[in-house]
Amino acid sequence: MKKKIMLIAMVSALSITSLAGCSSESNKKEQTKIDVPTEVFGDTIKYDPNVEVNNGEKVTIELWEWGSDELFESLIAGYTAIHPNVTIKLVNNPWEDYWTKLPLALDGENGPALFNIHNSYHENLINYLAPLDIPIEDLQADFTGVDAHIIDGKVYYIDYGMMTGTVYYNKDMWEAAGLTEADIPKTWDEMREVAKKLTIKNGDQIVQAGLNFNGDFHQNYLLGLNYQLGENIFKEDGTTPNVNSDTMKQIMQMLVDFYEVDGVGSKDFGEKGADSFGQGQSAMVIQWGHFYNTLNTTWSDINFGVFEIPTFDGNPYAYNRYNGESTFGINKNAPKDQQAVAQDFVKYYLANDNVQVAFNLAMSTFPAKKSLANNEEILKNPSLRVLAEHIDRYIWPGPMPETVENSLKRAGEEVFYNGVDIDTAFDEAQATIEKDMKNSSFVSVENLYKYAK
Amino acid sequence: MFKKKHPLQSKSEILLRNIVVTAMIVFFLVFLIIPIGIAFVGSFHEWNPLSGTYRFLGMENYKEVFTSSLFGRSMINTLIFSVVVIIFRVGLGLGIAYAIYSPFIKYKSFFRAIYYMPIVTPMVAVAFVWKFMYNPQIGTINHLLGLNINWLMNPKTALLAVMIMTIWKDFGYAVVMYCAGLYSLPSDALEAAKVDGANGRQVFLHIILPLLKPMTLFVVITSIISYVQAYVQILIMTEGGPGTSTYLASYIIYDEAFVKYNFGYASALSFVLFVITAVFTWCSFRVSGSEE
Repeated sequence: MKKKIMLIAMVSALSITSLAGCSSESNKKEQTKIDVPTEVFGDTIKYDPNVEVNNGEKVTIELWEWGSDELFESLIAGYTAIHPNVTIKLVNNPWEDYWTKLPLALDGENGPALFNIHNSYHENLINYLAPLDIPIEDLQADFTGVDAHIIDGKVYYIDYGMMTGTVYYNKDMWEAAGLTEADIPKTWDEMREVAKKLTIKNGDQIVQAGLNFNGDFHQNYLLGLNYQLGENIFKEDGTTPNVNSDTMKQIMQMLVDFYEVDGVGSKDFGEKGADSFGQGQSAMVIQWGHFYNTLNTTWSDINFGVFEIPTFDGNPYAYNRYNGESTFGINKNAPKDQQAVAQDFVKYYLANDNVQVAFNLAMSTFPAKKSLANNEEILKNPSLRVLAEHIDRYIWPGPMPETVENSLKRAGEEVFYNGVDIDTAFDEAQATIEKDMKNSSFVSVENLYKYAK
Repeated sequence: MFKKKHPLQSKSEILLRNIVVTAMIVFFLVFLIIPIGIAFVGSFHEWNPLSGTYRFLGMENYKEVFTSSLFGRSMINTLIFSVVVIIFRVGLGLGIAYAIYSPFIKYKSFFRAIYYMPIVTPMVAVAFVWKFMYNPQIGTINHLLGLNINWLMNPKTALLAVMIMTIWKDFGYAVVMYCAGLYSLPSDALEAAKVDGANGRQVFLHIILPLLKPMTLFVVITSIISYVQAYVQILIMTEGGPGTSTYLASYIIYDEAFVKYNFGYASALSFVLFVITAVFTWCSFRVSGSEE
């Protein structure tokens, strides 16, 4: 029975990435095949499908999200197959509108009972969230990273998956440069040498970049490699940004040297590294998990491989920063019957391994559910497989306000494009972040890292 | 004494007038006056409507506006952007309208429609297309001109590139407005000038141009108002970059309000911008001598 449900969930999940063109009718046909579980399932958090919701009486709730409709539809189909008295209306708002509409809807009387969360909007949502009706110990037993989500003894949402950066390389270019699997770099020095071999120039003009980080050096390098050198993004008080540091400047200098000394790429070659890789113009990029699905759907002709991010000395304090993909939020202002359904839905979602696998595969996130760390389906995904060995060596700083990324993006652009020196650019970034965070309630959770100093 | 006659003839006309006027007043109150009032009060507060923060700050937001180097830089950018785009909009608009007005040009409606087409195309779509055209590797512009310029990421060309796109998008408006102005010129004045022996240049400079002054003023004023508010093209094409080199005043307001949810500071910025726009508009009237 369990295998059969797993199979159906997998088919639904795969439809997100590989059968995007399927009609809604075919999806409905898939949904009609869902078998209803009759036995209790789950690890520590257990779900009993025999317990009625809302006393079996009809109830309708809304679930708001910003994309991946098929994934949510399959989840809803699985749940409503157990509870046919429940109707869950899926409402898709584009990402740009979602974060304006959602808090306003939650502030009113008719906001959705359930909604998708991205932790970067934590501060705008936390006042509308109901705590999960699941013992914290149970959450901690089944999922990693729960401690970082405890607020005054309550948990409002947790991470179902961890997304971070890995190196994507073009296998055809790799082979053409005479490189083999044995050349996969473990350190940044090795990375530099490999990137040089992968770079092709016509005179001074780059034809093929060995490494391209245009447009995302702030997300994928500046806010992550600091951990490799043993330094956090925030100072010990957890609130003061630590971006104007020697470590951060060292990383920035390394990036500048990649382009200006080693010539393995150029600030003017490819507006965005990810696009340039997809268009077959760059040999290597560091991208987060979602890029795996982007490559498979948008640039399916690229023959790519994945390896773990290099380190400075092979023995990092942590490999990189990760960000959690969040579980659903429950609207504390929703009617009680709707909240009860929402709580039950989240428990079903957390207890169900098949759903967890499907969500993690669809988002290319490493499962936060401990029992799925060695899951066969998960490890088939190369961007997740390379993380498996050191997954506990990745740090989440907490739901950082957007100004941290934006200000470092601006600092990097000042250095690369406007000729500003690194010290001045990072001085300004530090000042801007401090000003923008003056009234923020954010406190870093870097101290909760397993190997925190 | 005669009883003063009411200009409206029947009760139904009076009722209709009252309904229409009331609707207008309610509309402007709800969608203009009250929001402006709320924003003005909010400009003295630390205000994040999404998290429910609303704390009185006094003049802090305004002090921050006037001490912000980013706001200063963005105002200079806004000034450069507005002046250059308006000059080209008016110049091209007048030149092309005069060409269409010429008796030697056939298919006048066709040309008016062609030049007006970019105006009715959404700015978002135009900005995306131009962004693609400016791409240093695969963009049409470098390809056609044989150049190798990273237009949108070079601080020397980024704002220029956005201005070129905006001029292309908007000059058609001036063409149509000037066409309307030219066709409504009093024919007796033009004929009298010809009878007096004025040549084409003299007619244009001394008759047509002065008669088009109200239209020029209208185009300039509406352009000032619209370019001081410009942010969509910046949002899509440069996001204010590289660094902060293409930040315009309205883009900061967008950034503060809808990225950082700092509505209080954004409201203060808006009011400062409102005053600056009013001053520019007043100056335009003064310069043209059309205060009344």
